[in-house]
Amino acid sequence: MSHKKFEIISLTMRYWFIGLIIFITIRMLMETLRTSQHHDYEDEGPFGHIIFFMVIFLSSAYALLAYKNPNGFDKYTAVLGIIVGISFVVQYNLFRLIFPRMDRILLIIVDILTIFGFIMLYRFNPDFAKSQMKYFIVGNIALLFFIIFTHKSRMNVIFSYILMALGCILLLLPIIFGKEIFGARNWISIKGYNIQPSEFVKIILIFVYALWFREDNKFRDHLPAYIFTGLTVLLVVLQRDLGAALLYFYIFIFVYYVATSDWIMVLLAGGAATLGSIMSYHLFSHIRVRVEAWKNPWRDIENKGYQIAHSLMAISSGGLIGTGLGLGSPQVVPAFKTDFIFATICEEFGIIAGFCVIGLYAMIAIRGVSIALRSKEPYKALLAFGATVALTLQAFTIIGGVIKMIPLTGVTMPFVSYGGSSMVTSLALVGVLEGVAIGTGDKNDEEDPTEDDVYEEDVEE
Amino acid sequence: MQGLERNLKKGLAILLIAFILLGVYYGYILFFYSDRWFANSYNPRVKLDAWEPKVIPGDIKDRNGKVLATTIKEKRLNPETKQKQVYYYRSYLGGTEQAKSIAHVVGFNDAKLGRSGVEALQVKYLMGYNNPFYEKIYQMIFLPQEVGNNLHLTIDIDLQQYIDKALDKSKGSVVVMDAETGEILAMVSHPNFNPNRLDNIEGDILLNRATEGLFMPGSIFKVIVAASALDNLESISSIRYDCQGVIETGSRSISCYGGESHGQVDLNQAMTLSCNGYFVDIANKLGKEKLLKTAEAFGFNQDFIFPDLKLAASPLPLKGNVSGEKLALISIGQGDVQVTPLHMAMVASAIANDGIMMEPKLVYEVVGRSGRIQEKLQSKIYRKVMSRENAKIIQGMLENVVNIGTGKGAAIKGWQVAGKTGTAEIDNGNSEIRNNAWFIGYVSGNKSKIAVAVVIEDLPAGQTGGKLAAPLAGKILKKALDLGY
Repeated sequence: MSHKKFEIISLTMRYWFIGLIIFITIRMLMETLRTSQHHDYEDEGPFGHIIFFMVIFLSSAYALLAYKNPNGFDKYTAVLGIIVGISFVVQYNLFRLIFPRMDRILLIIVDILTIFGFIMLYRFNPDFAKSQMKYFIVGNIALLFFIIFTHKSRMNVIFSYILMALGCILLLLPIIFGKEIFGARNWISIKGYNIQPSEFVKIILIFVYALWFREDNKFRDHLPAYIFTGLTVLLVVLQRDLGAALLYFYIFIFVYYVATSDWIMVLLAGGAATLGSIMSYHLFSHIRVRVEAWKNPWRDIENKGYQIAHSLMAISSGGLIGTGLGLGSPQVVPAFKTDFIFATICEEFGIIAGFCVIGLYAMIAIRGVSIALRSKEPYKALLAFGATVALTLQAFTIIGGVIKMIPLTGVTMPFVSYGGSSMVTSLALVGVLEGVAIGTGDKNDEEDPTEDDVYEEDVEE
Repeated sequence: MQGLERNLKKGLAILLIAFILLGVYYGYILFFYSDRWFANSYNPRVKLDAWEPKVIPGDIKDRNGKVLATTIKEKRLNPETKQKQVYYYRSYLGGTEQAKSIAHVVGFNDAKLGRSGVEALQVKYLMGYNNPFYEKIYQMIFLPQEVGNNLHLTIDIDLQQYIDKALDKSKGSVVVMDAETGEILAMVSHPNFNPNRLDNIEGDILLNRATEGLFMPGSIFKVIVAASALDNLESISSIRYDCQGVIETGSRSISCYGGESHGQVDLNQAMTLSCNGYFVDIANKLGKEKLLKTAEAFGFNQDFIFPDLKLAASPLPLKGNVSGEKLALISIGQGDVQVTPLHMAMVASAIANDGIMMEPKLVYEVVGRSGRIQEKLQSKIYRKVMSRENAKIIQGMLENVVNIGTGKGAAIKGWQVAGKTGTAEIDNGNSEIRNNAWFIGYVSGNKSKIAVAVVIEDLPAGQTGGKLAAPLAGKILKKALDLGY
């Protein structure tokens, strides 16, 4: 009887949730477009803080999940929902107070996506959500650290060599000490925590690229950066972490082109990558399996196509507004809490919510690039752009894989997927973006005079 | 750092285009495929749980209301709990042996083998997933168990069983459809099985030959060539061909059936006599592009996405490099061209329906718990495949085929039947030739035009479409007329 009651409430609340999701997304879209043209941070718009509606979304979802308990209404869950909700308000306002010039829209978008993750993870298993909250707290420390680090620290060549060495060491760790999970050897285990170093290397990559490509040098002056790119991609390929290899390549191509306008190199690199993919398709069976599963997952549902077929069945089971939170069967989808979490969101919150999630990532792209455009130094502009590419193309890669648009490569969905490495890295990348954002328009805090001159000449042209 | 701002904007544009593509693809693929994916036999969400079903699936009825499939409740001993419990299972045509006739159309819903046919594809309705919000809430509160909706199919069980008997032991398939509405009146695939007893399933017995079986079409493909010729060759009425019984193409010679030479023939005579040489000649005059264009209008090489049934695509490999020999073989329906019986019934329907091809329809209406009709599925035009005038010309030719040509066996006294015979010759690997006998055609019935496609496969040499398929099609159309269609 109690389950029936839960079903009825959940079915009813679908309308409430989808209304909230649509409202938040549309308001965010308006804010995103409006403030990207004017530097107007203080005006809150007609409905006040969107963060307020997000907290309502989170607490009402937790209140609903409280009914799922077979022993009646679970007060603990309901209270937890309110506490977590309040913690978002505190986090948002703290950052706003410490850094008044930060891009608050970006932070709100990130928070919405995190809330989606919290709701889904709590619905799968409260323990997942509790661990995720720990990761979120660590992530926020990383966020804070990287805002300050990006804003205050001065980059030089020596430091970038240290970073490169660190990156290579990080990537070597799993090859030496790692264990194999799902055919990839990209994890190391420290005190019971599984850590994926290839995630953290993304941060190093964007710092290295921003430093080496900031000046319009000759091709050979960038040589260390190319070597570093080649090494990192090689190391993640050795770990069989295709998703990371692809992502590193995207970041390199995008940042390199934006910095140098060098089409030839981009085409060469693209050609090399295509050649590499074709070769690896013929050389490695696990890549062939992925491509076949992408072409037709239905041919071999029980083996090769299992993941994608179950993902597609989950997505198509929800209809426009979903089955209702807690009423779907996301557990039958493999990797439902990490790579395939998008499919489970689509199942329980519906196709429309899927559109909204895609839209939110697109908004991160808009916010990120507008921060880069506002930045007065090439170094910081490239830094912001690199972080934007890393975040958005990771989301693109995994959502595209889950809906069978492109072959599936195992990367997490930033902010939403379960996992500490992913959460901390993603928030650190937001920290980089915000660190650039708080420096924009800050006249007293300019780089050294030589670069300043270069910049001002540009403006006069 | 020149052009950084411009490049950043370019970068943003690329990122946004990527996300727009993502959104468009997401919407597109869900719009077209989500029902199909949901209905997949592997989807654990819609499994009929024998002991504690969440939803009791609805009944499937034929167009006259006869129950084809229903859910039966029975007290049985649950081997797990060692208690007597209510056991739910699907029963077809009252659990009798006659259920064989509907085995492929209606399909089955089995714990081990999963689902097939209508039971699979329409699971959204049968399990009540299409129910509106208030209906779901009502059922949860007031009913002891949620129930699905009932489906009325367009199948006529009498015609279906008649065809099943008429086909007897031969392998093959028959599709009968209403040419003007696209409603499928009967769809039989042989060999078949009893959906009430699924314990000894062997070989390709589960394959629904009508929708998934790909057959070489033989001479019935000449209808497509003729349609293309009428469309593209202005001088078609004056083109004559001097048939010597054999035509040389590349390394291979193609002869007419039995090596007979037909002498001077025009399109009409060539169709009536099924003259191979004429159609090879016409195909050469047309060229592969024009033939391919017409054939694709008729649905070749197309992914059929119909809401009511899954239909395999009919491949016609005329793209890229095609040798003259291959084109010649394809023009008479040999070589690499393959079709499904249902697709051929659609082709016959399109000609009968003056060039308009209807979407094949299997579900007539969806009836809810209280007898309220939830959805009445409308007939839809699939596409216009040729002009009305050309359709009329082909109709005349096909009438000739039955009146004086190879299809005499299909004639029914007092009714004008039209059609085309076909005999595809297949080398079975041991240098033995086996035949597929075809007939596609239609008759203007009491209410509507009834189209039929018959294929009997794996016959010894000498058994042709004219000898076997045409008389069978005639019998079936007669029965349909007797039933009042």
